[in-house]
Amino acid sequence: MPSDRMASFEAFGCDPAELSSPAPEARRSSGPVTGPEERAPSYWLPGLGAAAVLAAIAASAAWVYGVPGRGAASAFSLLFGAAFGILMQRGRFCFYCMFRDLIERRDPRPFYSLLAALAVGSVCYVVIFSAFLPTPTPGRLPPDAHIGPVSWALPAAGIAFGLGMTLSGACISGHLYRLGEGYTRAPFALAGAVIGFGAGFFSWRTLYLATISKAPVPWLPHALGYSGALAVQLAAIGLIALLLTRYLPGARAVPQAGPQSAAAATAPAAGNEPLSSDCSADPAQLRALAAVLSTLPPESPSPAPGPSPQPSPAPSASPASGVPLAELWQRIFVQRWSPGITGAAVGVLGALAYFRVAPLGVTSQLGSIARTWLTDAGLLAGRLNGLDAFRGCVTMVVHTISDNGLFISALTAASFAMAVVGRRFKLSRLTVKGAVSALGGGILMGWGSMIALGCTVGTLLSGIMAFSLSGWVFFGSVLAGVWAGLKLGLHRLV
Amino acid sequence: MRRFTVAARAARVPVLALALALALALASTALAAVESDKVVSTEWLAAHLDDPKVRVIEVSVVPGVYERGHIPGAVNFVWHTDLVETVVRDVVSPERFQELAQAAGIDNDTTVVLYGDNNNWFAAWGAWIFNLYGHEDVRILDGGRAKWEAEGRELSVRPPSYPRGNFEVKTINSHLRVRLADVLDVVTHNKDVAILDIRSPAEYEGRIFAPEGFQELAIRAGHIPGAVNVPWSQAVNPDGTFKSKEELRQLYASVGIDGSKPIIVYCRIGERSSHTWFVLSQILGYEVAQYDGSWTEWGNTVGVPIVNLAGTVWGAQ
Repeated sequence: MPSDRMASFEAFGCDPAELSSPAPEARRSSGPVTGPEERAPSYWLPGLGAAAVLAAIAASAAWVYGVPGRGAASAFSLLFGAAFGILMQRGRFCFYCMFRDLIERRDPRPFYSLLAALAVGSVCYVVIFSAFLPTPTPGRLPPDAHIGPVSWALPAAGIAFGLGMTLSGACISGHLYRLGEGYTRAPFALAGAVIGFGAGFFSWRTLYLATISKAPVPWLPHALGYSGALAVQLAAIGLIALLLTRYLPGARAVPQAGPQSAAAATAPAAGNEPLSSDCSADPAQLRALAAVLSTLPPESPSPAPGPSPQPSPAPSASPASGVPLAELWQRIFVQRWSPGITGAAVGVLGALAYFRVAPLGVTSQLGSIARTWLTDAGLLAGRLNGLDAFRGCVTMVVHTISDNGLFISALTAASFAMAVVGRRFKLSRLTVKGAVSALGGGILMGWGSMIALGCTVGTLLSGIMAFSLSGWVFFGSVLAGVWAGLKLGLHRLV
Repeated sequence: MRRFTVAARAARVPVLALALALALALASTALAAVESDKVVSTEWLAAHLDDPKVRVIEVSVVPGVYERGHIPGAVNFVWHTDLVETVVRDVVSPERFQELAQAAGIDNDTTVVLYGDNNNWFAAWGAWIFNLYGHEDVRILDGGRAKWEAEGRELSVRPPSYPRGNFEVKTINSHLRVRLADVLDVVTHNKDVAILDIRSPAEYEGRIFAPEGFQELAIRAGHIPGAVNVPWSQAVNPDGTFKSKEELRQLYASVGIDGSKPIIVYCRIGERSSHTWFVLSQILGYEVAQYDGSWTEWGNTVGVPIVNLAGTVWGAQ
């Protein structure tokens, strides 16, 4: 039963083996067993439920658009949040899973999703930057792009964040979308993040005076211009992509991890045939992705746009002869979306969000909650030296829900809708240990993202797309933190 | 019953009259766009976007506002860095301003139209600087950015590019600006100069040191002795457009400011008072100088006289 399989995955905090083991296949194969007559209602009910949730988000956006003092930024925040939630849930765009699969299983495939997002996002950001700040003159930065200071506090924050991810089973954005899947540790981790933010505010003054105030704010285009920065960044992303191809399944003789054999039992055709078009969706698309990546030199690595010529899951499932609606449904709403397509879409979404509202980020509202509570309680000064002058996921003393709050609410709601329709919604079993470790991990992540002025979304994703060095430093240190966390066995504290 | 009907009938006449008066008032406010050649309407600007002798400048305070959509062809002046000095507290130097204006393609005979967010506060600062450095034709878009947006007019995200202009700072109109010593001179020698504080009544009376959320504070609260208080916002209609000339004249006359003597305006840092400077000098034609040091200079200066109606001493105990 799929539910048994899922239960075993939940011990990991996420579903890292899903790409290796076509769990969707297993689920799909369970479809026909139930018989079409039983299947119809189970399609429509969750489908209608999800449609209702998405319609509610759309209606809220339409309503908030007309609210004085709100307008388009708030409406777009809801819509972008929903889109991000859908992408995260359908494509499992979970930083922890990507990092963990890479480190523990030596499986880089989910990681390509991130590389695709960074590459596509960089290209789109350059287009926007060249309009926002036509000449990248030193001393000037494009408005509110996430380009932060690089001091030793940044890797410290990244490592703490990575450890927190491992301990709590996801990063902050991961918890937000997995909350929509019924992950019961998520509320503890998010509460922990608010506490961690509070701790961050208290340590800010010391760190600011010790190092952050003296730190440079390096921005690649200042040194290389836009085209140079884009070339260097795409080369770096391409090089990483190229180096990782040796770990791709098919590139190595090592058989897949355990679940693969289970998958082989349920769906033998989904085995190792390279690039056969009739092969089941996920492995074939991944092999195609790997093929695209490995045939490009690192100098001109448009590997990320690479996946775009690939047919999206839905059309590929519909040859001219016609494919049953059920198959289409499976491909769109049940099976995991291809990492390349998900990543490319995240890159485009990141640029659109920057263009219309602000760079993608998920911690601004959480941090603002902590800051407001502490300020109202008289524990925190109204002004935190230097903090409000930096760019990143800004925190404010606010007593209303900010646009960022709308963004993350829509993210979780849309993820919930997709989880329901994909039958992935399931309240995970909660243990005291799991709750405490999630809270502890959340505290580490909250502290880390306060000091780093953002999390894996705000500082890593939006930061690298914006060509900041801070994004890359945070990337490396979070990866190191997750690696250390896995070595320490923090992920087993559930 | 009967009495009610009679009452209703009796009420009808005044109700009708009231409705008529209201309609007239509405019509007159709609038509009563301030009559001044220093103020342009959104319609006028929309019709002159392609005029090479008109240059539109946006001065907004919120970062990213211009970039995410501006009036087509408008050039962005960043208040925080372009229109002030960034190390010394001062207005932008004439050299830097000349360079800025030339890069924006401004000639000496260009019609400069400024607009911005926050009711044109910072656009008005820009207008003051343009006047300070002797540019001839400086105007403000009535209603600013908010009105242009509210009317659903065209916005662009493309950065404009113009051939270099020949604008030169030929004269510095230093009579448009006063410094601490000048104001102190007026106060201590009881000179015949009107001082206008355009901050909120709470700031004027000394109940608060600065509006909530603003960090740049003064050690003492209150106002400059002799100053009268007309908050800047009273000069605009709810949609951000300037009130009619007559309304403005009455508004300031009610506190004794009628143009019969020179006027000094100030606020907290000099940006809101630019708005009132524009109203009084450019619309009403009075002789007005701006004290841009404003309360953050006066309230921090040792030994200058202060009137504090509220009696606050320190911001915190």
